[in-house]
Amino acid sequence: MKTLEWYPVYLREMLLFKRKLFKLGYLFSAMVVPVIYLVAFGLGLGRSVQTGGGTYLDFLIPGLVAMSSMNNSYSWVASALNLNRLYFKTFQIFVQAPISPFAIMIGEVLAGMTKGLFASVLIMLVGFAVSVHFRITAIFVTTLLLNCFLFACLGIVTGMLTRSHEDTSTYSNFFILPMAFFSGTFFPVDRVPLFIKWIIYIMPLTHTNILIRSARIDGQTAASLAVLLVYAAGFFAYGSHLIRRYSE
Amino acid sequence: MIQLESLTKTYGRVRAVDGVTLTMARGEVFGLLGPNGAGKTTLIKMMTTLSRPDSGSCMVGGLDVRSHAAALKRLIGVMPQENNLDRELTARENLLIYGMLHHLDDLALRVEGALSTVGLLDRSDSVVSQFSGGMQRRLLLGRALMTQPAVVFLDEPSIGLDPQIRRQMWDLIRKARMDGRTVVITTHYIEEAEVLCDRVGVMARGTLIALDTPSALRTRVGEYVVEFVDKEGRLTQQMCRSRADAQDAAEKIEDRVTIRRSNLEDVFIKLTGERLEQ
Repeated sequence: MKTLEWYPVYLREMLLFKRKLFKLGYLFSAMVVPVIYLVAFGLGLGRSVQTGGGTYLDFLIPGLVAMSSMNNSYSWVASALNLNRLYFKTFQIFVQAPISPFAIMIGEVLAGMTKGLFASVLIMLVGFAVSVHFRITAIFVTTLLLNCFLFACLGIVTGMLTRSHEDTSTYSNFFILPMAFFSGTFFPVDRVPLFIKWIIYIMPLTHTNILIRSARIDGQTAASLAVLLVYAAGFFAYGSHLIRRYSE
Repeated sequence: MIQLESLTKTYGRVRAVDGVTLTMARGEVFGLLGPNGAGKTTLIKMMTTLSRPDSGSCMVGGLDVRSHAAALKRLIGVMPQENNLDRELTARENLLIYGMLHHLDDLALRVEGALSTVGLLDRSDSVVSQFSGGMQRRLLLGRALMTQPAVVFLDEPSIGLDPQIRRQMWDLIRKARMDGRTVVITTHYIEEAEVLCDRVGVMARGTLIALDTPSALRTRVGEYVVEFVDKEGRLTQQMCRSRADAQDAAEKIEDRVTIRRSNLEDVFIKLTGERLEQ
């Protein structure tokens, strides 16, 4: 792969993103769901709840950042790729260009990560405003980047596999929505019954939530990091394979 | 420049392209003529690496579409039938991204040149969604030519254009040929094929049913047509080798009769029994 072969793929997404960014609808849609959760669960229900020695807000905000990074990295990539492939046909210009499938993958994933990080930063700003204990550590940043990467790769897989735009929503309802609620965003997963716990521990967002709330790397966080890396590598490899095998 | 050998592509149970074998020479304008669903676009998609052939071989510039796709992509420019411009980006941004994808040097100059060629320099910073259909087709052609490709694939280049813009498009295609490029055009506009193409391949139901120069194809089926409306109100045609033969045939018909020179649509009807949809 030539140096920066991925850059035009990324640049295209960023130019489109810049156009959307200054429309009120984009900022609103990126923030509305986590802010509703923050108000309803954090400032409403959570005032009377203590979690692990801190307030519920201290527990909730890193989870909302993880959830928001997942939603935005995944949805924008899956949706855009699906539309570009099936409706707007703009994906054709990548396939017919003398760049490697790997470059297409990298460009799209970096674009997805950027969108995920942008939405996460918005939630983090809200976090700083409402919680005095909210801190950004090296583990937090690393986990956030890894989470954006992982779900952007999953977005590529979904965007390449789905056969209509409606299918993208179906995938989202089956995989992303349950993960948002049951992966430790809103409550600690160690309190759930054992028979559900193993399902929860299969979900990558569970491990993101464990890591993003950790102050240091220990046995459990190292295991979570390993799980996330395996998922990220798997989704990246499968996404790259789907792009390489693309044929109309 | 292009060699296709028993090229086949199937979608489910439909054989979109069925064993097509043909050769296109360097610098030739080659037309693929046929109705919607004849397999023209699928053939173009295989030649431009967008669609993987099921069987047969496809070589462009001596490079196989399967094993040398990356090198082959440097030789080609593609104007698709369906508009695949980014509507939310400006004309300049569209060309800039395309040029970067194709590793072009002097990118700013190339973009200006392409916009100038298709007469859109004054609208270069307008968002494409504000363009008319004709302007978008011109931008697609400018983009296809921007890399100065050895082979240009134009899939229905003038579809939906008004006659004046269509003729401007034809001038650009002629210019590409004069620059030494091989041009492959799919069309179901008879006039377009006759005016532009050195040779024409007629396709129907995925197969190539005839291949020759437009004049040779007309000679093959008859250079003159006797046309009349029969007693059931159907337009009926009779192909004749010469004008004298056509006049003899016309004299035997009592109804109102027209004699005219044949065109590629007559060739198509004669070969397939179908009419091209305009």
